[in-house]
Amino acid sequence: MKNRNFIFDCFFLQILSGVYFGVCLWDNSFMREELCRIVKNRNLGGKYFLMEIESAYISRNSKPGNFVMLEVSGSNDPLLKRPFGIFNADSDNFAVYYEVVGKGSELLSKKRSGDSLMVVGPLGNFFPETEGKNLLLIAGGRGIVPLNYVLNFFPEKKNISLLYGARSSNDLNFDEDLKKIGIKDIYFYTDDGSKYKKGFVTEDVKNIILNDNIDLTFSCGPDVMLEALAKKINDLKTENYVSLEAYMGCGFGICHSCVVEDNIGGYKKVCTDGPVFKMEDIGWQT
Amino acid sequence: MADLTADLGFIKLKNPVIPASGTFGYGEEFSHFYDLDDLGAFVMKGVYMEPRAGNPPPRLLETPSGLLNSIGLAGPGAKGLKKIVKRVAESTDTPIIINVCGGSDEEYLQVAEIFDEMEEVALLELNISCPNVREGGSCPAQNDKHTYRVVKLIKDNVRKPLIVKLSPNVSNIASIAISAEEAGADAISVVNTFLGLALDIEKKKPVFKNFFAGLSGPAIKPLALKIVWEVASAVNIPVIGMGGISSGRDVLEFILAGAFAVQTGTINMVEPSASVRIIREVAELMDGLKINKLEDIRGRLE
Repeated sequence: MKNRNFIFDCFFLQILSGVYFGVCLWDNSFMREELCRIVKNRNLGGKYFLMEIESAYISRNSKPGNFVMLEVSGSNDPLLKRPFGIFNADSDNFAVYYEVVGKGSELLSKKRSGDSLMVVGPLGNFFPETEGKNLLLIAGGRGIVPLNYVLNFFPEKKNISLLYGARSSNDLNFDEDLKKIGIKDIYFYTDDGSKYKKGFVTEDVKNIILNDNIDLTFSCGPDVMLEALAKKINDLKTENYVSLEAYMGCGFGICHSCVVEDNIGGYKKVCTDGPVFKMEDIGWQT
Repeated sequence: MADLTADLGFIKLKNPVIPASGTFGYGEEFSHFYDLDDLGAFVMKGVYMEPRAGNPPPRLLETPSGLLNSIGLAGPGAKGLKKIVKRVAESTDTPIIINVCGGSDEEYLQVAEIFDEMEEVALLELNISCPNVREGGSCPAQNDKHTYRVVKLIKDNVRKPLIVKLSPNVSNIASIAISAEEAGADAISVVNTFLGLALDIEKKKPVFKNFFAGLSGPAIKPLALKIVWEVASAVNIPVIGMGGISSGRDVLEFILAGAFAVQTGTINMVEPSASVRIIREVAELMDGLKINKLEDIRGRLE
């Protein structure tokens, strides 16, 4: 039972410290296993879905960067829960945005409002304090997930800009909503030019950072995008954070499966050392 | 209500459910989900003398009702684990079991001696299987003589009761179990993961860099149950059964096959509070079937 006190202490400390200190502080102090009700599971077109899940506890205790493990089958096959970043949260519900890419997400897409599923969360660390800094968010495809939560979480938006790209117009969701949020600048891209500027988010990133006096970047996207991004901005003076995706077993540090190479020849667990890392701490291949 | 006590002779556990090494971290991670005091005992993640980074990814692949892993026993080493054990022992009275690994007989002994001296540790479990670790050639569990030699070495030098954990990847597991018993083992735990292979047809390569990986989860339960029955029929020391257990019904099947207690594995990762759910289910089932205590059905196959 000592753990309960620990949770209380952490909570108290967080309030005292003005909520944020930085990444990796109280990872998983709030994690819980809960049976939750699905409020909505809306198809956004193609293979993309937005699922809203009821949990006041997870919603209120989550922060941008956190993720949850969702039960997909209710049976032994598939056996594992699947990790999903938190896209948004209010006081009662949180949302996950996902693409059907395999058996697990396929099963999830079949669930309806009113169905229940087991959820473990909130998990992982979160993005650091942004106050007073010029922040650039860089999203590729589903990488918009934690960055959308960043946009919704912080009340001060006029110092935030967003670069958001996807394969084609069909893969670029929420663009109209994002335009209305009232952030400084938004740049959209599609790989095939089917909507907005043709190209990758990495193309103009360096110029934007230099011209707009960016102090801080948060990025999330496919590994290939993050590799290219790291090559361009890792040596700039900005403070750069990335949120990584990984194949996970448990989501809370037990199985040691979701490791990435760090910059000193060791491994970091995406689930508990991350998913948010300083860009310079990752051992990028290029 | 049914008496769930699991009496192994050298220790009495309040119930037969023990989360297994490598699937339960260091215990403290699970204190977010339930009170560790509810468990029969728990086994910490396997430990070598020195810290280990583990195998290069990928380390895990989901399979039908199971998973293949090639983690490579990543961990903080004996010194690091000592600190963790001290910390965790302050928060629970549940017996802590240390899973002792080694790349050589000497290393097994070194690690065993370190934890033999800790009053916070109740039992040692000798991991002579180590199916993922190539160094030192084949593991002791694959050979009667090597099993006997390493178990004898540990038993001659440590005081705490010793559980010997066997590998299923052998032709005659009963004879390995008998060797461990003859060398002085206090109990046998069976089984570790079954070696399996996953292939990538696009790359024409194995998925795992170590080629083979260990299969666990509900998929292996019938295989594990068979081995528990074989080993329990062959030795006179208590057998701790494991392999794919995910319900109270599974636990009673293992007890019926002759196990004194069980270990829960992969299910702890999938469903963090699984072990306490399973304990609850065991109690309900025993009440329903009018089984007063585990001994009433242990090994009593009709």
